[in-house]
Amino acid sequence: MADTQPKTRYVPSYWRGAAGLLRRGLRVIGGQAWLSEAECQTAQRFLLGLRLAAMVIAAVVLYTLGLPNLIRSFLTYRVPWVQVCCLVTYTTVVGLAAYLVLRGKRWGWLRWAALAATLGASIASDLSLGDGYAITAADWSFGSVGWVGVIVLTERPLCELLAFLGVHELLSLCTVVLTGNGHCTEILWLATASITSIGFPVAGAIAITALRFIANAADEAFQQSETVRVAEAVAAGLHERRRQRFASLYVTAVPLLRGLADRCLDPEQANVQRQCAIEAARMRRLFAELDTVANPLLHELRHCADVADRKGILVEMEGRGQWPEPPLPIRRALTEAPLAALATAISWARVTVIGTPGLLSVNVVADCAPVDLPHPDSDAVQLTTITEHDTLWVEVRWQTNLSPR
Amino acid sequence: MADQPITAVIVDDHSVVTAGVRYWCGQADPPIELIDANARLANVWTGPGANADVVIFDLQLQTDQQEFTELRRLVDSGRRVVVYSQDAHNTTAVRCVSLGALAYVTKREGQEHLVAAVRAAAAGSPYTPPSLSGALVADDDPNRPHLAPMEIAALRAWFASSSKQMAATMLGISARTVDTYIERVRVRYANAGRPAPTKSDLVARALEDGLITLADLNNHPI
Repeated sequence: MADTQPKTRYVPSYWRGAAGLLRRGLRVIGGQAWLSEAECQTAQRFLLGLRLAAMVIAAVVLYTLGLPNLIRSFLTYRVPWVQVCCLVTYTTVVGLAAYLVLRGKRWGWLRWAALAATLGASIASDLSLGDGYAITAADWSFGSVGWVGVIVLTERPLCELLAFLGVHELLSLCTVVLTGNGHCTEILWLATASITSIGFPVAGAIAITALRFIANAADEAFQQSETVRVAEAVAAGLHERRRQRFASLYVTAVPLLRGLADRCLDPEQANVQRQCAIEAARMRRLFAELDTVANPLLHELRHCADVADRKGILVEMEGRGQWPEPPLPIRRALTEAPLAALATAISWARVTVIGTPGLLSVNVVADCAPVDLPHPDSDAVQLTTITEHDTLWVEVRWQTNLSPR
Repeated sequence: MADQPITAVIVDDHSVVTAGVRYWCGQADPPIELIDANARLANVWTGPGANADVVIFDLQLQTDQQEFTELRRLVDSGRRVVVYSQDAHNTTAVRCVSLGALAYVTKREGQEHLVAAVRAAAAGSPYTPPSLSGALVADDDPNRPHLAPMEIAALRAWFASSSKQMAATMLGISARTVDTYIERVRVRYANAGRPAPTKSDLVARALEDGLITLADLNNHPI
């Protein structure tokens, strides 16, 4: 059932019951790598601490337990220098792990080379022990290999560490059987020694796995809460935008619609029709403001002109020159009077936009009915009108080099 | 000359355009006699087209390339050319004017401006329709001629209003003064764009502009 949950669910999946927890645990113990590249910094910080802790434990085991035993039993080994080589090998692996942690690098193929070297050293150490010395103080390697394996396999699934320790235990058993005197007490010694040499690393690995499990869950919870926060921010922005758009229409469009609904305004009257056309053009401009286009001013003017075009008015539109993109309040101030002229044109209109260094000019020339043109809200914009016979020329200018962007 | 009708030869690859222009020329007062070159430039150089007062020239004739070379050849041979094109880009219009075309009329502009441009060209005068005026005011070529503020204002007002009278009212000057400013701009462009490919051409330009005299040439042979 949990499989059908969408990935963007808001409640962490691990709270969804024991089934999800068990599946997640099996995934960890199974063949899937525990941490992916995408997992966030919390898990990475956890992991760094765990790797450092494993390295400290491995170093302590090697040099406070293993090294003294090696020195004390040095003369009992068949080939003593092999034991020294084993210690050097384990030390190299631990040193390599420390280097990788400090440089923030991953193991990569080195992991498998280090594991092979560790197992090889363990076998060589077992083979160079004197007969009857397996699972004694002279067998210092037996208790150290498990911790070396832990630091190499910290980031890997638990089953890989269990397999590694299993191989190590099997090799030790073979050594005991082949080099021992055949008493079952040796097997019991092996079992007793394994409690510390195998059990502690396994316990440590399980603790590490549990901590990583928590870290991963924390990551997921963090990401989901982040998704919720982003969604809330987007919703708030959208609401604010809608509120602003409604506020823009509230002053002019709402009274008009209310008047039409109350039958206070007669749709047959020419001035009511003109007001409706102007409000329609304003709404088209508001919708056009949401579009992402290369030239928002021309785009919004085209939408205003389209309202006139749909009424059968012959609209000619030309843009010349270049200009910086005006901010939204300036664009509204630049298009407010032109849209009113366009909305009230009777048969033709000419719309021109001219951008020259320092000046942007929006013009509408049309055969307009008498209309009260709104004055721009912004001081950065100047409106000029000329009427000649039945032709109205509206020019709105913006000083691009003076106005704040 | 004044009694003779103006003749114009049109070279355009769209017969509907030719038919429309023929109708406009017939409706003009006095009428303009139009010769159809049948979309062949050879008919502009030979036959009745060779003697036409004005060449109405489609810049893009059945090819993807614009015929700037042919335009230059016509201008250099003393023909009075009105470019009639569907291309409304600033650079194309300004380039044609710089090459010596007396007018650049876009096909979106109608009878009013094309007939006026042909009449002006027949008299050897430039004509600046509103779209060309817009192209000139928006010309951002660093080598463009320097224009006075009132010349720029006149170009802008004419482009925006498409009415000399309204432009004049907006600027607080007479319509005739608006014309004067626009003509000055055309003179500046004509001077800046006149081709002088050889040394002798440069000398000829300098003589025309009064920069040097024949006496100077005698004293300092070039």
